[in-house]
This record gives sequence, C-alpha cells and structure tokens, in this order.
Amino acid sequence: MTKKKRIEKNWLEWAVFGLGAVLVCGVLGFLIYDGATAADGPAEFQIEFGRHERRADGFHVPVRVKNVGGETAEGVHVEVVLEAAGREERGEFVVAFLPRGGAREASVTFHSDPGAGTLRARVLGYEKP
Amino acid sequence: MKRPVNKSLREYARGVAGGLLFSLPLLYTMEVWWAGFIAHPWRLAAYVVATFVLLLGYNEFVGLRRDATFAEVVIDSVEEMGIGIVVAAVVLWLLGRVTLGAGAGEAVGQIVVEAMTVAIGVSVGTAQLGGGGGEDEEDKGVGEGARGGAGGFGAQVIIAFCGAVLFAANVAPTEEIVMIAVEISAWRLAGLAALSLAVGALILYYSEFANAREHIRFDRHHDVLVGTIITYAVALVASALILWFFGRFDGQSAAVCAAQTVVLGVAATLGSSAGRLLLQ
Repeated sequence: MTKKKRIEKNWLEWAVFGLGAVLVCGVLGFLIYDGATAADGPAEFQIEFGRHERRADGFHVPVRVKNVGGETAEGVHVEVVLEAAGREERGEFVVAFLPRGGAREASVTFHSDPGAGTLRARVLGYEKP
Repeated sequence: MKRPVNKSLREYARGVAGGLLFSLPLLYTMEVWWAGFIAHPWRLAAYVVATFVLLLGYNEFVGLRRDATFAEVVIDSVEEMGIGIVVAAVVLWLLGRVTLGAGAGEAVGQIVVEAMTVAIGVSVGTAQLGGGGGEDEEDKGVGEGARGGAGGFGAQVIIAFCGAVLFAANVAPTEEIVMIAVEISAWRLAGLAALSLAVGALILYYSEFANAREHIRFDRHHDVLVGTIITYAVALVASALILWFFGRFDGQSAAVCAAQTVVLGVAATLGSSAGRLLLQ
C-alpha cells in the first residue's frame, strides 16, 4: 500500500481538527508561559476584607485570600482579629487548598461592629502539599 | 474519498462515549483535581506531550484506520486531544470544579490533567466501540491487511503501555496507594509482585481471552515467561511514570517509591495484559 495519498476530510472533520489544534497549542502555550513567568519560592498570601454585613447572628466580614507566591498551599489557616472598644475578638477559617495564583473567599463573624474597630488578618500556618 | 458527515459524527460520538467511559472515575476523584494545581505547569506540559506521543503510537498501530499515513495519525491524535479537553472542561464545569472566578492557571491545570485520560479514552473508544457492520468495511477491511503491523514488538509494547496507563491512572492519584506502600511488609510486597506476574500470565496465556490466539505468540513454553515478564516490565514503567506525574514520588524515600510502583503495578499489569488483547 502506498503511503502517498491525499488527505481527504469533510468539513466537520476539518472543523474538529482545527478546534483541537487551537486547544492543544493554546493549552501548551499557556502552560509554558505560565511556567516561565510563575513566581519562584513558597506560597505568599494577600488578604483582603469585603464590606461587612449585619445579620441576626452578628457581623459577617467576607475575607478573600489570594496566593501570590510560587507554590500551592494546603490547609491554610487564617486568623482575623477585630480590635474594637479596647477589646479583641478572634475569627478564623481554614482553606483546604490554595493554588498558586488562586484565590478563595471565606467569612468570619464577630459580635462587635467591625466598622467601629480595626481588622487584622494573618496566615497562622499552612502545609506544603 | 471523503467520508459522509453523519458517519464522522457517529465516530466522534463513539469517541466522546469512550472518553467518558474510561475516565469518569478520574473526573470524580479529588486527588486528580489537586494534581492539576499542585503540579508545576511545565510538568503538565510534559504530560500533554507524553500523552500525545502515546496517542500517536496507539493510532499508528491500533486506531480506527490502520492504513493511515503519518499525517492522518497526527490529525486524528490532535482531534482526540481536542475532544478530550472539551469533554474534561464541560464535565469539570458541571461538577463545579472549574469556575470562571478562580485563577486561570488553576482551571487550565485541572482540565489538562483530566483531559489527557479522556483523550486516551476517546481514542480507544473511537477504535473499539464501533459495532463493525458494513459501513466500516472501508476502514476495518484494510486494517485486516495491515494487521501484521500490529504484531510487531514495538506495537505490542505501546498497546500494553496504553492499557496500563488507562487502567492504572484510575488508582494512581489516590491516597490509598501511598498508604499501602508505607505500611506494607516486604513479604506482602513480593506477594503483590508475584500476583501481578500470575495475573499477567493467566490473562495472556491461559484464560482464552478474546483474541488471545491471534495476538500472542505461544509456540514454546518460554514464550510465556518472556511475554509475561515484558508485560510486567511495561506495567512497572507505566506505574512509575504516572506516580511521578501525580507527585507521589516527591519527598518520599526510594523504598517507598519502589513499593508504590509495585502496589500500583497490580492494576497496571491488569491493564497492560488485558490491553494487549482487548485494545487491538
């Protein structure tokens, strides 16, 4: 059998091939670019607070944790402290996985009004997966 | 001669069905999702390339059109990978694993890890799930003539490797493998290796699996020994590669790595020996 023959495909097959080629090249390109530009070093966290809300069980403060470091972190334990009227109140939560470049949203609740005090947050600890 | 559109449509439908059939356990396994964002992007890129090479091998020696030229084999492999990526993305999105809000790297990583097994499933499904029938005569008919090509040593190794990957990838990323490997005694480990060899020999030579006579040389008794050992060796290599990819070797001692390979080797041997008979 000759190995020289024309490739004949109908429009659907060309369309699927085209889409496949774009996807495969796109994914490979993205991965290589992402790998080349990824931050080096361990996980690093940025914590932001959202607008707090009063509910029946207290004040809810949305918290967004972002991993801007170079590695995924597992079991990220975040503590938020509210200082209001000379009193400290603590809230905390754990994020199961925080991928490199990824962000997770959570909430902490307080009895006192966060609007009347100051909020501080830090990551207590995490595991390298 | 161009195939009619509805025939290619049926082929793609088989491919999607095969992709889902072989990879659904992985799409529902959280360790696999995690592997998508724990692994370095370059490791994922290497995984894509490795899978592509495997698809090329499978399509060259087994796939639907055995008379295909190399260019056609490449085109088929790209199509299968594209279908794999789309299927993985849709299922992961439906499962709520991939969202638009989270980081792009995270989404792409998860989709890539899942898509590669889906792609192998698509390839196997397209080639294997067809009911034969009159309409496939043009494809399969030539295949009969070219079947000699699938009997070569290299082809058999690639088919065994595909089977091992398809089967072992379902269990490789789970915690259970490393847990067993850490706790197991040396004697039990040797027992697992013996079990793998026995299962391989049984499937290949003694249980009259479909196609066994056709594809397996069985002239002298040492063929049994050589064939079984080669199949087991392929299974072990496949196990080690998959485990490495899923990061199961990171920070482990050499003994635990070897133990994991043997533990997973049982599944991989099932896949590689049954694969040599069923994936043809």
